[in-house]
Amino acid sequence: MSVAATAASATAAAGPGFLSPSGVEIAFLLVGLVTFGAALVTVTTRQLVHAALWLVVTLGGLAVEYLLLTAEFIAWVQVLIYVGSVVVLLLFGLMLTKAPIGRSPDADSGNRPVASAVAVAAAAALVWVVVDAFRTTWIDLGGPAQGSTEVSGRFLFRNWVLPFEALSVLLLAALVGAIVLSRKNGAARADGNAAGGSGKEQR
Amino acid sequence: MPPIPGSGLAKGLAVTLRTMTRKSVTAQYPEAQPELPPRSRGVIALFDENCTVCMLCARECPDWCIYIDSHKETVPAAAPGGRERSRNVLDRFAIDFALCMYCGICIEVCPFDALFWSPEFEYAETDIRELTHERDRLREWMWTVPAPPALDPGAEEPKEIAAARKTAEKLAAAQRKEGEHQGQDRDEGQSRDQGPGPAPGQEAGE
Amino acid sequence: MNDVLDVALRLIAVFAVFLVLPLVVGQAEHKVMAHMQGRLGPMHAGGFHGWAQLVADGVKFAQKEDVVPADADRRIFQLAPAVALLPYLLVLVAIPIGPGRGAVGQTVDAGVFFVLAVLGVGVLGSLMAGWASANKFSLLGGLRTAAQLLAYELPMLLAVASVAMAAGTVSIPGILHAFEWWWLPWQIVGALVFFVAGLAELQRPPFDMPVADSEIIFGAYTEYTGLRFALFLLAEYVGIVVLCALTTVLFLGGWHGPYGADGLGWVWTLLKVAVLAFVVIWLRVSYPRLREDQLQRLAWTVLIPLALAQIALTGIVKVAIN
Repeated sequence: MSVAATAASATAAAGPGFLSPSGVEIAFLLVGLVTFGAALVTVTTRQLVHAALWLVVTLGGLAVEYLLLTAEFIAWVQVLIYVGSVVVLLLFGLMLTKAPIGRSPDADSGNRPVASAVAVAAAAALVWVVVDAFRTTWIDLGGPAQGSTEVSGRFLFRNWVLPFEALSVLLLAALVGAIVLSRKNGAARADGNAAGGSGKEQR
Repeated sequence: MPPIPGSGLAKGLAVTLRTMTRKSVTAQYPEAQPELPPRSRGVIALFDENCTVCMLCARECPDWCIYIDSHKETVPAAAPGGRERSRNVLDRFAIDFALCMYCGICIEVCPFDALFWSPEFEYAETDIRELTHERDRLREWMWTVPAPPALDPGAEEPKEIAAARKTAEKLAAAQRKEGEHQGQDRDEGQSRDQGPGPAPGQEAGE
Repeated sequence: MNDVLDVALRLIAVFAVFLVLPLVVGQAEHKVMAHMQGRLGPMHAGGFHGWAQLVADGVKFAQKEDVVPADADRRIFQLAPAVALLPYLLVLVAIPIGPGRGAVGQTVDAGVFFVLAVLGVGVLGSLMAGWASANKFSLLGGLRTAAQLLAYELPMLLAVASVAMAAGTVSIPGILHAFEWWWLPWQIVGALVFFVAGLAELQRPPFDMPVADSEIIFGAYTEYTGLRFALFLLAEYVGIVVLCALTTVLFLGGWHGPYGADGLGWVWTLLKVAVLAFVVIWLRVSYPRLREDQLQRLAWTVLIPLALAQIALTGIVKVAIN
């Protein structure tokens, strides 16, 4: 994601203000660099919880980038869902596994080359798609916000209703799957203690 | 009838709200002195004139916080040709209130009424050694010992008064007997003199 | 230059509110709780009914040694109080206390989302503290915090979604401008769900399982001393102010009041916030702590269905009006 953001920043800077960038553009580039750095640290640090916390910085940086692109609604949803919930869930899981303070060398699997190959391929695909889609599109900061809640809502529910609903069905399927998995485990253990917290831990 | 759902929650809120509108019961101690009940156990006072250095208190004390030093003195014979008597003289009497657990056993066992409870309690110190009260300080507490509270109505008579009354009654009875014997011998005028007026034993009993 | 001055003044005003209101709430808690328990509470600090008790507490905290446990993850341990406290400061910026542009720190277009998003970040502070302390009680506290947040974030969001639907906007001043008095009975279920879920997210009694002092000492904050501990406490009280202010502006009509609408709107807002803060304290005094399974059951089987029902009701009424 962060790679895509920096790529987007590069395309943005290639517009009319390429030689005399405005303050917003400079800020965009700087935040992009910070986000990129945080993302790198996230995948390279050997401390599990630190990785999760660097992920917070990365996602927060992305939210700031959205804000600078005037996509206010997306920015806050990013913070709300990713920083506020996903990372909390992640930390919750890490705490359940008793993540140690300090390095955990056994957390490294031997799949590093494969993983980096997949990451590079994904990044390349994203960068290519984004660059190809927007090329020289220029956001007019002076006019009405183009990423406001109203605009986003209109787009989402007029032009993109079908993908949106398909996504919700996907999420619903995931939810049902989680419930089925946790219930099955509970029955196999043959005690009716699958209430509340224990059910969630197994998810 | 099943209770309305949430009525328990409402009741809980009502209790706290009602308590808030009432006057609080906090006693603001340093500004307002507490009203202590009679027989409060604040500090132990020593009436050293009564102490005979019998050591009962020190021996009964569960945590050994009473220190007594004494020496013997000989008293010259009271009558010419009599024997010299020896007598215990108190040199030191101290109670370590850092150890004392305020059980009151020393006061119970003292046969000569030399130890008393005083309701004073404000003798905290910044140095624990200061909590060992020596003889003069224990004597000073005597001034704060209150008069013993009155007996409950219908309570048993105090032992010493009961004893005094019994002896007085015995005396009176003996005198009356003697009078009757004399009356048989002499005329009846003398017995009429003793008849009216309360007997001394009855007076003591009241 | 004038713009800079304007921004600076607004920020100073928000900062003053941030520093003063939590102390007022804290002092009120001292006194109200004491009287509800038949006590007097602090009476000496400051002379008159102990009004300066919290100032004295602050001085005491500042004097204490700042201890970091030997096995702790130092940087995260030290960073956690700031992460817990700063989001509340940010949220205060977006809450309007009166009509007009002068009565809000900064108008945010997606204000409701901004507020909820940033509030969720504050919990990260507790999690960081719980993990970095290298203490099993802290870790348990952190776990419970996370579980509670996951359970109660959803009903809170759904309740807010209901009111946003009713107003047709996600901007907080927009919601307030659209407010009518009959929204009160209409959105009452949503308001209750929001308030209860907010209490749970603040870990206020009766939802104080994550800091239950009788079983896990002080949860994630066990190892903290001095100013850092004070910052966590301050975060809790700013949280009360923020929750009450949010409930006020989203559900109780903020500056709208039966009379005195012009110029006195901020009085109504503050009054409603004060009443809600009193209720927060009142609940703390009245109810025992909920057990962990009761907490989860309340969230998933009571609050979420209620919030969904509220959304359905809002939708029906909205369509009927149009």
